[in-house]
Amino acid sequence: MSECAASASNVNANEKMASLLKEAENLKAKLEEERQKLNDVNLSNIAERLEQIAFVNIKPRKVLKGHQAKVLCTDWSPDKRHIISSSQDGRLIIWDAFTTNKEHAVTMPTTWIMACAYAPSGNYVACGGLDNKVTVYPITSDEEMAAKKRTVGTHTSYMSCCIYPNSDQQILTGSGDSTCALWDVESGQLLQSFHGHSGDVMAIDLAPNETGNTFVSGSCDRMAFIWDMRSGHVVQSFEGHQSDVNSVKFHPCGDAIATGSDDSSCRLYDMRADREVAVFAKESIIFGVNSVDFSVSGRLLFAGYNDYTVNLWDTLKSERVCLLYGHENKVSCVQVSPDGTALSTGSWDYTIRVWA
Amino acid sequence: MAANLQQQRTINEQLRREAGIPRIQVSEACNAMMKYMIDHESDDCLLSGFTSQKVNPFREKNSCNIL
Repeated sequence: MSECAASASNVNANEKMASLLKEAENLKAKLEEERQKLNDVNLSNIAERLEQIAFVNIKPRKVLKGHQAKVLCTDWSPDKRHIISSSQDGRLIIWDAFTTNKEHAVTMPTTWIMACAYAPSGNYVACGGLDNKVTVYPITSDEEMAAKKRTVGTHTSYMSCCIYPNSDQQILTGSGDSTCALWDVESGQLLQSFHGHSGDVMAIDLAPNETGNTFVSGSCDRMAFIWDMRSGHVVQSFEGHQSDVNSVKFHPCGDAIATGSDDSSCRLYDMRADREVAVFAKESIIFGVNSVDFSVSGRLLFAGYNDYTVNLWDTLKSERVCLLYGHENKVSCVQVSPDGTALSTGSWDYTIRVWA
Repeated sequence: MAANLQQQRTINEQLRREAGIPRIQVSEACNAMMKYMIDHESDDCLLSGFTSQKVNPFREKNSCNIL
């Protein structure tokens, strides 16, 4: 290309870029205006007439000890009794939460296993972390688990989170490479990749209702995105957090999501109103939130913090109900059991606790 | 430059899609959410407690306490 033509094409590209940026600005302003038009009242005003949650009888029931380093992730089995945990020590442990017995332990060829998830059948677990991979283990004897493991997918950076969206046949992952990906378990084929975040993806969650085609992701770019799994497109995006979004969870009603962030707040975004409807924060809370989950009605929001506590929030009134003390280091993960009878919490103090 | 342009086009496409979605009043959305929570309150053991501690699978088993 001649020098003259090259500079002409640069000018052309610059003009295109400028007009795209201008359009983006206008679209953002329009979005905000449309959202503001419908913002007639906030959630805590609507919930004013409701009684406060007077007393929550949740006690520490079990302590699961066995990991030799930070617990990074846990997942309840569909049988509502077993828990899988993954740790910085490179081990995966399957616990009987009723008896606190360790039923299986597998050592992976990596440390920092940041994610683990039960398959819907309860017969497999998916896990991964600093190895950038998602690996599936059948739940059988310890020897067979190690022998029959299968690598399903690989990211270009660490894998931070994984879930089975519909069946044992597919796994959805989020990664430090700022993408999410849907994998076919059998073939290891990448079925869909999800580009849009401009920072590490830290958490994903699946919509509870519908046909399982919607999921949410939270990222270090401070955003939460709602995705259409079939098209691979972002359907909605939510901002507001001042720092990394570490955790995202659908409200059981399916029309809202909660987020937990390093900015020490949790937020509630309603998808049908397309905006933030509540913020869960206090001046006295200055530590980051690592993990959030809802009770089965969605009235209680559990949040695990870097100050070693678990805070219980009244979702409707945006007020703190109480605190759960017990862990001796950062609380890395919280999860309500599938039938809603118990809460599990994992911590950098090497333990998992069950509250009920 | 070409890559940046492509990236910006993708962002604009997403914004256009988002601008076009239907929305409802915040009050309507919040009332629906509140109704869901009230309707499911009785199923929520962590919120409302167990009808009896005996049905709590994680309760401590009473050790023999007959003296």
